[in-house]
Amino acid sequence: METEKALELAESLLKDFAISTNRPEENRVDFVIDRKNLKPAVNAILVDKRWGYLSAITALDNALWKVDETTKKKTIDPSGGSLELLYHFCQAAAVATLRVSLSYDDPKVDSICDLISSVSMYEREAAELYGIEFVGTPNTDKLLLPDNWPAGVYPMRKTFTSLEDSAKG
Amino acid sequence: MENMMQGVMNKVKTWARINSPWAIHYNSGSCNGCDIEILATLTPRFDVERFGIKLQGSPRHADVLICTGPVTLQSRDRLVRIYNQMPEPKFVVAVGSCGISGGVFQGCYNVVGDISEVIPVNVYIPGCPPRPEAIIHGVVELLKSLQP
Repeated sequence: METEKALELAESLLKDFAISTNRPEENRVDFVIDRKNLKPAVNAILVDKRWGYLSAITALDNALWKVDETTKKKTIDPSGGSLELLYHFCQAAAVATLRVSLSYDDPKVDSICDLISSVSMYEREAAELYGIEFVGTPNTDKLLLPDNWPAGVYPMRKTFTSLEDSAKG
Repeated sequence: MENMMQGVMNKVKTWARINSPWAIHYNSGSCNGCDIEILATLTPRFDVERFGIKLQGSPRHADVLICTGPVTLQSRDRLVRIYNQMPEPKFVVAVGSCGISGGVFQGCYNVVGDISEVIPVNVYIPGCPPRPEAIIHGVVELLKSLQP
């Protein structure tokens, strides 16, 4: 009951920014927003009204797969697909997620480090594993990967198979 | 006369090595399951200290390196450096299936896998994680192999 009220409050706070809304589970609500609206949306849900706390920032690689008719092998279609960033906000059991879709050619989004300074770790992780660029983030050091990891190789993208394969080019 | 002295000294050295091997423990990227079991082995319930094994803080004081985890690329240089800091003769015990083949992390983008690709290993203790009894068995095997 309280979860439902909290989710409805989140929907009302973000109705100006949300392109679409979805309830994947009983206690979750997803808002698809444009990347230009990220900072205003985070302001609305966190700074102005303090709906909940930022729980995590996760990244996804929605690659487009195509199946070859004869061999039935799956390969990646480079003409489609996108990267996606998910900002999860929690209030008790209710979870509101902001989904920002980014293209492979220009995966840039504003950093929210000036609103919440501790997101630096999440942004560093998404930057080194997926190649997403956070404009204005204070620390761009590697978080998990070793220092001699080759630049431009993003291990969590679906096109990455192994370090040897990416070295061969 | 000289040879007798040498023989006696060698016997004393071997006796000391077998009866009190000092260990250092290193985690090269494991999930900590094997580390928890190693810690349990050192507690009074399983008590590996009755074999004279003491845990040291510095590799320069240790004979045995107890290593867990699949070697991640980031900890690979550090592992080699710790192994080089140990004085001769030194022995390496690889604990857990991660140290044997990479375990569940086999083939991951950031993982070497087998510890013997980085440093020479004397004893492998399989398990995920191995029980303290298995760890004690592995250590006893190492000590038995030192006997002339």
